[in-house]
Amino acid sequence: MQTFIISKLLALFGIILSCSLTAQITVAGKVNFKNKGVKDISVTLKDTYDGATTDESGAFTFETSEKGNLILVFSNPKFVEIEKAVTIDNQPVTVNVDLKEQISEIDAVVISAGSIEASDRKRATVLLTPIDIYTTAGANGQVTSALETLPGVQKVGETEGLFVRGGTGSETKFFMDGNLVNNFFGNSVPGLKAMDRLNTSLFKGNVFSSGGYSALYGQALSSVLVLESIDFPEMNSVDIGISPIFLSAGFQNVDDAKTKSFGISAAYSNLGLVTEILKFNTDFIKAPRSIGTNFNFRIKNKMGGILKYYGSFDENTLGIQEESLEPETDYSQTSLKGTNTFHNLSFKQKFGNYLLNIGSSYSYNRNLIGLNDIFENAEFNANSIDSKGNYFNSKATVERKINRISAVRGGIEFNKTREETVVALSPLNYRFDEQITSLFAETDLGFSNDFSAKVGLRTEHSAALDRWNLAPRAALAYRISKKWTSSLAYGIFYQNPENQFIGKYPLNFQRAEHYILQVQKSEEGRSLRLEAFYKNYRDLIKTRLEDYRPVAISNNGDGFAQGIEFFWRDKKSLKNIDYWVSYSFLDSKRNFQNYDRSLFPNFAAKHTLSVVAKKFVVDWKTGFNISYSYASGRPYYNFMTDTNGDYYLNNQGKAKDFSALNFSMNYLPFLGRKDAKSFTVLVLSVNNILAQKNNYGYNFSNDGLRSRPILPSADTFVFIGAFISFGIDRTQDAIDGNL
Amino acid sequence: MKNLFLALFLFASASAFSQTAYEKTMTDKIAQVQQQKTADEFTALANDFKRIGDKEKTQWLPYYYAAFATIQKGRLAMRDGKTADLDPIAAEAQKSLDMAMSLNADNAENYILQKMIHGLKMMVNPQERFMSEGMLAAEALSKAEKLDAQNPRISLMKAEDIYYTPEQFGGSKAKGLETFQKSLDQYKTYKAKSAIDPNWGQDEAEYFLANKP
Repeated sequence: MQTFIISKLLALFGIILSCSLTAQITVAGKVNFKNKGVKDISVTLKDTYDGATTDESGAFTFETSEKGNLILVFSNPKFVEIEKAVTIDNQPVTVNVDLKEQISEIDAVVISAGSIEASDRKRATVLLTPIDIYTTAGANGQVTSALETLPGVQKVGETEGLFVRGGTGSETKFFMDGNLVNNFFGNSVPGLKAMDRLNTSLFKGNVFSSGGYSALYGQALSSVLVLESIDFPEMNSVDIGISPIFLSAGFQNVDDAKTKSFGISAAYSNLGLVTEILKFNTDFIKAPRSIGTNFNFRIKNKMGGILKYYGSFDENTLGIQEESLEPETDYSQTSLKGTNTFHNLSFKQKFGNYLLNIGSSYSYNRNLIGLNDIFENAEFNANSIDSKGNYFNSKATVERKINRISAVRGGIEFNKTREETVVALSPLNYRFDEQITSLFAETDLGFSNDFSAKVGLRTEHSAALDRWNLAPRAALAYRISKKWTSSLAYGIFYQNPENQFIGKYPLNFQRAEHYILQVQKSEEGRSLRLEAFYKNYRDLIKTRLEDYRPVAISNNGDGFAQGIEFFWRDKKSLKNIDYWVSYSFLDSKRNFQNYDRSLFPNFAAKHTLSVVAKKFVVDWKTGFNISYSYASGRPYYNFMTDTNGDYYLNNQGKAKDFSALNFSMNYLPFLGRKDAKSFTVLVLSVNNILAQKNNYGYNFSNDGLRSRPILPSADTFVFIGAFISFGIDRTQDAIDGNL
Repeated sequence: MKNLFLALFLFASASAFSQTAYEKTMTDKIAQVQQQKTADEFTALANDFKRIGDKEKTQWLPYYYAAFATIQKGRLAMRDGKTADLDPIAAEAQKSLDMAMSLNADNAENYILQKMIHGLKMMVNPQERFMSEGMLAAEALSKAEKLDAQNPRISLMKAEDIYYTPEQFGGSKAKGLETFQKSLDQYKTYKAKSAIDPNWGQDEAEYFLANKP
């Protein structure tokens, strides 16, 4: 009996075993996307080990001993997961499926018409990161100078500001973490270009828009530069900078969890020594000096919200002397004392699907300019201009994600301005008050990974003009093929008349319309952009001289700018060399401010070319950087006024072409040294190494009979400096272990 | 009584059988990791491991090996200079590793893979990312070291780094080889916890030592 049971049991086992061994059923099929087979799709018989991965043709096949009603799962991060019921008995099973694309932020096409982005968020278009800026010869470590090597930005050497696509310097606005930065550049006098006030290393990325920018920003006819500050520093550090022209020191502290950090730094600069050694075209009677300090803190709360503060104070002085063009005057002297403080506070937090971004900035800027003439060693005609400006900006934006790549955002912005100018010789003090309230809304629409759109609307009310405006904006991006994308942008942009021209006449907003078409090719290590644009200006202000001051009398000005731009960056073709080339062609005419007719603007050049190349030689621990820039000659005009105060063109001409070759070198002596206590960078840079004689235009005497070229303050400028960082951490280990 | 015995017997054999199936499948697949040559093969293998992980639910090893196979695919892309592929591959590996970590939090082997993932991400742009990814990689490796100081794979990782770091940056082939030797010595005494626990890397150390420059 027992043997019988056992033998029966064995037989049963045998059957079960043989069943499971012999009854392997083949499951096969094909996986398609848009009628084409796709590889790397994981095909899984749910809750079993059985499955396969599709090959190049989309085909898969596997064997299983499972039986009954089961579920077949098709998965791959790039596609929407599909489940399909299958019944497996004794016959081979064939299952074919069609997949749907998974819409994702990484794969979605990015709108890039008119904008050049360098933050980590959208990797495809990363351009000009802080390291790129520091290693661009001729940029002196400044964001705005480095941007001059990109297409669309004019090389203007005598005035600060970003001059974009035939726009004036005041048509570009600057933002830090969403808030407006007034007085982005240091204080200066006409003919001398001031430096950026904010340090490049404060920022992790930037979005530079040469047109067609988002509805989040306004009051800029041409362009915005949106800077995004770093969230938390990587480490505790003490930094020192030493150079014949400046001394700086600072420290930065961050807790281990990266939830709190604070820092302070101070700098003193004095061009005195250099003006003694180098040949300057500008005659400094008081060498430019400045002293400044800044503080920052960042706090992260438990919910991931980040509060950031940055504040600075600085003061600068300088004095120059020029040979006078006027009769019975030998020299005219100008001195400056500038005082500035800037504070920026911003807060960002996610609440479920919502992202809140709020912030405020405040600047106070004072420019005290002293003027006097000298004849036979005696001073006369003393005058002074004392201008003070208070600027307050606050902004709140709420964003809601709709699906993976779509979003709506909207918000409110408030700007308050109070300016006061006292001219010693004028009995009238000039005061200007303005309040601009703006509302904006924008939506990102992702139709597929290959097609997306942005539609926005902005409206602003200016108290000074007592008017509203309404600015619609739209942009589209379409991926033509794997490497090529195209995008299109359109928008209307408004800007108040420049404050200094506002008088008693009723005025309107100035207006520009942008049309931009771009094609871009990006592949591993290389990118190519071609952009064509047309910009139509309307309602530009016209000025007249009244009470010794140019005053805006109407909005009857107009103009246009159109052009083609080319950009090529290549990190791949030449070993260890990163280079880029940009070329811009600009055609523009304007009738505005003091122009009495339509003219090619005197701040713009028809052809601009820029080439930047960098190479780091590991064996020498040294980086070599060169850059070359060329701009065709700019026109210059001499406008004079008739008895009515109306301007007329008295004289015009064209300055010669501008060109400069710049060189810089950075040497990192302790790079990789295990016992090094500090991280040191030594920098040598020479701007305009071939000493090309450039001039930017001409200044004229009051009667228009005599003129003098406007020259760069020095033809060739040499900078030597050492930057030492004492990191209180394991950075060195990281270098040793990971490079 | 007999029935109970039979039931127990069947239950025991069934569970014993399924245990073996898991181990057998894993052993097969693990053997394949070292043999794969192409990216597609690694993808297929990572999918196989994920399938096993999804079925077993409590086992961390299938996800560990899924991550490992994906990392190997990344290293292949890195050798071929396809740095643009590294971010998505690293993200894929991270997904599997997160699963493994959630099942077995304090395990040196997982941190070793974490180090390798940060290494892949760093290679996308070493100049820019070494401050962030490089430091995270170092952090992961030091966590692994705290958990299992004698693990030969930790020395192997260090040896690789030192070997490929130019002398100017504090590395050298000679110092790298010393560390490979240390790793090989550790392999000789180190016992994997089970037949299917991580046991890779000895070949690599031997390869470097056999092909001294």
